[in-house]
Amino acid sequence: MQSQDNYRIALLSSYALALHGLESLIPMPLPWIRVGLSNIITLMALLLFGFRAAVMVTLTRVTLASLFNGSFLGPGFILSLGGGISSILSVVCVFTLLPGVFGPVGLSLIGALFHNLSQLLLAYALFIQKAEPVLIVCPVLMLLGTITGLVNGLTTDLVIRNLKMSGISLHNN
Amino acid sequence: MSLKDSIRSTTVADRILLIFLLFISFFSLLLTKEVLSRSKEVSIEVDGEVRYIYPLDTDRKVYVEGSHGHLTVEIKDRGVRVTDSSCPNKLCQRQGWVRAGAIICIPGRISVTVGGSEKSKGVTPDAITG
Repeated sequence: MQSQDNYRIALLSSYALALHGLESLIPMPLPWIRVGLSNIITLMALLLFGFRAAVMVTLTRVTLASLFNGSFLGPGFILSLGGGISSILSVVCVFTLLPGVFGPVGLSLIGALFHNLSQLLLAYALFIQKAEPVLIVCPVLMLLGTITGLVNGLTTDLVIRNLKMSGISLHNN
Repeated sequence: MSLKDSIRSTTVADRILLIFLLFISFFSLLLTKEVLSRSKEVSIEVDGEVRYIYPLDTDRKVYVEGSHGHLTVEIKDRGVRVTDSSCPNKLCQRQGWVRAGAIICIPGRISVTVGGSEKSKGVTPDAITG
């Protein structure tokens, strides 16, 4: 059972990494705007295998992605680690405290919101220390995060539905 | 299974959250735009020294007497223009309405700058020649 869990985490992390790499090929008007496609995998891990798998997938993805693109322990790494951890923790909290209230779309929106807010807070506390640029960027990021959160949530729901339809056994029992 | 099923299966809380977030982000987007444009100032310099500073959101007309000429500056609808000047080629008048940037009258040695008040932030030019 334990080794099967680890195998799943490794597989999901590699999917997340692949999506992370793929989305860096999508041209964006500003370099730090991301669709966050790898969060589809994180959300799937949470919904199918529980929060331990989701947290592990997030940590593995953030660490390995930063090792691959050379930003390990740099400012970008700190921001994405902080954003990743706070977003997965907020989603786990809502998922366990209010079970059944939010579907994949709602959870994805919450994750995107907390990801952006915590990154802005971290950037303000560690690097910028000026309130003005952070307040200007905040609404833009919130709007983009809501749109990408919606897309990711719907995709997660679609993938999980199709997996369940195809009859692949997803759970341990 | 199609996207339609996924959209249909969203919970009420999902939809409320989506609308709430969209509303909040649009509202704060408008709010920051409003605050940003309000903080803008028009500064009028003569011979490299600030003579007047006016907020951009109050309409007014100002007559500026420089050491080498004079001009009339009009502030209206968050824009600035020079309506009359003593210089020969009237370049500053032809520049029309300016919402960001500067209008500079070289013969009159007068400059009209729109933007965040640079002087109040302690940013000053290294040197002014002429």
